[in-house]
Formats: sequence, C-alpha cells, structure tokens
Amino acid sequence: MNTHPYLRAYLAGIFVTTLILPIILTVFIVVRLVLHLPVPIERGLIFPMALIPAGWGLWNMLWIASHERTHLAVGVHGAIFPFILLPIGATVAHCYGILSFGASSATWFQALQVPYALIVPLFCCGVAAYYLVWKYIIGSLNSVLGIA
Amino acid sequence: MNAHDEDRIKQLLQRALPPVNSGAEPSRDLWPALLRRVDAEPSAQLAALARSTPWFDWALLAGLVVFAVAFPATIPVFLYYL
Repeated sequence: MNTHPYLRAYLAGIFVTTLILPIILTVFIVVRLVLHLPVPIERGLIFPMALIPAGWGLWNMLWIASHERTHLAVGVHGAIFPFILLPIGATVAHCYGILSFGASSATWFQALQVPYALIVPLFCCGVAAYYLVWKYIIGSLNSVLGIA
Repeated sequence: MNAHDEDRIKQLLQRALPPVNSGAEPSRDLWPALLRRVDAEPSAQLAALARSTPWFDWALLAGLVVFAVAFPATIPVFLYYL
C-alpha cells in the first residue's frame, strides 16, 4: 500500500470539496435562476468550483511531501491554507466584479456588505474551520488511505 | 520417519489436543449478543471520538456556530472561500 502516495494524497485532499461544492452550486443555481435573485454569482464560480478542489488536493500532497521534515500536524497544515487562499480568492473576486471595497465595508455579490471590522473575525473562523476539517476529515482519510 | 515415529507423533498430538465434539453447541444463544454488538458499535465509536476530542477543538466548533448564528450574512462569503 505504499505505491502512489501523492495520488492518494490528492484524492484525499479533494474529497471534502468535491462532496460539498456541488451542493453549494445547486443552492447558488436555485437562488440565481429559480428565485431570480439579481446577484451575479456565476461570475465568481471559477474560484470555488475550479481552483479550490485542486488546491486542497495539492495542499495535501504538499503535506505528505513536507511531513518528514516539518512534522507539522495535518490540522495545522490545513489552517495555514486560508492565508494563501484569501488573497487569491479576493483577487479573483475583485477581478470578476463580485467583490468591491467601500469606505467602511466590503461588498460581496453586490449584495452582502461585510464591515471591515468583521472581516478579521470571519477570517479567524475560516482558519478554525479549516483546522477542524483538515484534522478530523482529511486526517482520517489520509489514515484510511495509508498515507498518514 | 518410520511407522514407529508416526505412531509416537500421533499419540503426542492426541494427548496434547482435546477431542473435538462435533455436536457441541455453545451454552447460550450468541446471535442476540452479536446483534447488540453490531448495533452498539457506531455509537460506541462516536462516543470514543467525542471523548478523545480535546476541549480546544470543541471550543473552536462552538465559536464557529456562535459566529454563524450571530452573523448569518457572512455564511455565503465563508462558503465562497471554502
């Protein structure tokens, strides 16, 4: 069971996102096309639908590759990932016009205004969520697949 | 190995191993106990996982739930960056 560890790491990494993102996509399509909400969701879907699953897989591959040297727990490794995702996601969202910056708040999807004071706690929640998901789900999958 | 050795080994084996009674049955019905074990395993595994989870992780989970309840408008933004 020691063959192709990076392939198994990639598959374990993309498991959560490929499971959840179709559900989120369904909700977005229902909100946009059925409920006719005037929010340009489809502009920014390239980030969560294309980049995030591959990113999770590659991040797990990086954990496998670096674990011998760093001895970093998989939860901590996952908690570092939002620090990379946030700037990329914000850049993509800004380029596609679904994120705009105002005087006191940032606006997502031309509808959701989040005050700047709330962005830091929101980011901390993201880090915490990533820590828990990577520790308990990705870590378990890595064990099941024999790479951790 | 001659016939004498074979007889000797046979005797030793018969002495070491108790005779197997092919018609023997367990003293009680084992099936209900097996069913109880099958039914109890998922909950027991969950209980073991809950016991082994450190308080820090529970606190993080509670913080996430409180934040989502307090600021529900941030949930789509959070899901976008998932």
